[in-house]
Amino acid sequence: MESIKEKVIIDCETTSLKQINQKIRDAVKDKVPEVIIENPWASHNLGVGITESIHIIYKGDVGYYALSLCDKVTAKVEGNAGWAIGENLMDGEIIVEGNTASACGASLRGGTIAVKGSSGARAGIGMKGGELIIGGNAGYMTGFMMQKGRMIICGNTGKALGDSMYNGTIYVGGEIEELGNGTEIVDLPPAEYNMIKDRVETYGITAPPSFKKVVCNGRLHNFNKKEFGIWKEIL
Amino acid sequence: MERDIIRKSKVWSPEKIEEIQEKSDLGRYRIRGQATKRADLPSFDDLVFTPAGLSRVPLEGYRERCDTEVIIGEGKVKRPLVLDTPIMVAGMSFGAINAHAKEALGIAATRTGISTCTGDGGMHPVEREASEKLVYQLLPSRYGLNPYDLQKADAIEIVVSQGAKPGTGGTLLGQKVSEEVAHMRDLPPGVDQRSPCRHPDWMGPDDLGVKMEQIREATNYEVPVMIKIGAGRVYDDTKLAAKVGADAIVIDGMEGGTAASPEIQLDHTGIPTVAAVVEAAEALHEIGLKKEIKLIIGGGISNGADAAKAIALGADVVYIGSAMLIALNCNKSLYLEDYKALGTEPAACHHCHTGKCPVGIATQDTDLMARLDPFEAADRVENYINSITMEMQIFARSCGKSKVNALDPTDLRSLTLTSSLITGVPIVGMGHHKPHYADYESSSVEQNVLSQLLV
Repeated sequence: MESIKEKVIIDCETTSLKQINQKIRDAVKDKVPEVIIENPWASHNLGVGITESIHIIYKGDVGYYALSLCDKVTAKVEGNAGWAIGENLMDGEIIVEGNTASACGASLRGGTIAVKGSSGARAGIGMKGGELIIGGNAGYMTGFMMQKGRMIICGNTGKALGDSMYNGTIYVGGEIEELGNGTEIVDLPPAEYNMIKDRVETYGITAPPSFKKVVCNGRLHNFNKKEFGIWKEIL
Repeated sequence: MERDIIRKSKVWSPEKIEEIQEKSDLGRYRIRGQATKRADLPSFDDLVFTPAGLSRVPLEGYRERCDTEVIIGEGKVKRPLVLDTPIMVAGMSFGAINAHAKEALGIAATRTGISTCTGDGGMHPVEREASEKLVYQLLPSRYGLNPYDLQKADAIEIVVSQGAKPGTGGTLLGQKVSEEVAHMRDLPPGVDQRSPCRHPDWMGPDDLGVKMEQIREATNYEVPVMIKIGAGRVYDDTKLAAKVGADAIVIDGMEGGTAASPEIQLDHTGIPTVAAVVEAAEALHEIGLKKEIKLIIGGGISNGADAAKAIALGADVVYIGSAMLIALNCNKSLYLEDYKALGTEPAACHHCHTGKCPVGIATQDTDLMARLDPFEAADRVENYINSITMEMQIFARSCGKSKVNALDPTDLRSLTLTSSLITGVPIVGMGHHKPHYADYESSSVEQNVLSQLLV
């Protein structure tokens, strides 16, 4: 590790996972503003459980659970990300230059995750807040059981979009292969489009000319309503 | 002409008729709390201890030292979980039960040196304050999960499934989703919450291995990480949980409790606890990790006999949930009018799902909650935990063991053939006499059948 005032550089080729995360924690403790992770080679669990402000740059692909269970962290992945990047992020900002695998931003609680490429299945599953921006397409069951927050997908989505979502909003710029149970498309006011466009462009992503706004229709919120037809769809 | 006789059908019993007619009204499956009500499950009652006599010396039943301590994660993590007695309070969420109940369980557990568990719904500050040793559950729903609480926990439990309803997620009906519960779970108040059954960010055992590493990193290898699985494919699941590096594996038998579950699932899903412990212990033995990984068994454990027999069959610790609530006052003969209003009576109540718990445990209604004084209730739970510990010690001493965890299957005999087949414990009267039967071979058809059964 080469340590200077402004940043810490960690080379994954010569450092164990335990040491990598410890060095990030040490950098946080020493109030170093930036950590650079070199040669990540899609390793798992790089930068987990960091709960103080720091900026992390990954010089390549990351594996499962990068930047998960974190708070106040800002980060950039100069490559692709494996499963569940930013899982349970409390606050902060994660930018992924490439694509992400499944469960990107699972149980996201706050902050922003911006993926410039596409995302696999179950993006934003169980989101409890925050903002997930996907520049390309998103896969099957994106937004499943979403609870709160905002998801912006500039491209197309797979089947079961937003299935069983409790709350929150999903904006889709492209085609929706199939809406999930308990969802509906509602009108998007021009001011809201402009806000979404701004958010997308903040990350250098070109906004599509229009978005569909998908929300929970509330019809599955309670068991005791005798809406046999609705329940038959999902039970 | 036939006489007029009122004869109820065994095929179309009153219970079945009532069930059909209720479903024809509801338009969905029935949901209720508590646990399966089946009376035909094999149980620990089908086993007895074989106390010491001439062949083995007993310990003084009431006085002689008999250790009960169990340590989870010893030599593997920085802060192993030390239990003064091999009992843990099973996970029951804030939501399913209220803060008074959580506080009472925490106080009692602290006094007796055991752990409590958050359940699904996050870590309530009252519970953390009251519990010296608190297990933090990581569930598919991820309700209330955050890195700060994760780092405050004394152990982490990754919940794969629950014994009462393996293969489905949790259910909390809207009447219990109060403002506070909704806030902690990030849900709209009053919604019928149906939790997912699959974790959002891993699917199979290989992924779980990476998840395990994530949790260890996030907690800096400080505390044990356990995996809880509802008893189904116990043998294989136990091996896989061991493979991913759990410090302890919790197997929750089908008698396990719930605050709300589809009733049909309670009665027709899962493996009874007595069978589950045997399968799990066998799996750990086979891969040579029985000593390294602690086996925790839950599901219908009600007294020291159940607990000691589970330990003799291979468990290290028992998980107790429903019985802890009963010690709090669940199903007690109080507030009879309220039981009546629910259409039930004390000792038959399973109405946790309604949020109208007459004794103020499984409710978020502040008036009902006021009926449960956390400090009085803690005394009762403390007494109950102590009584189970003493009961376990009685069995251990009578079998000549100076540690409860030294009980083993040779200390048991089965009362029924079914139990013997399930547990591998010889049936009473025949344990060590098999060779003797050779003298009588072919002497009678009856004994030939008997010999075959013993093979």
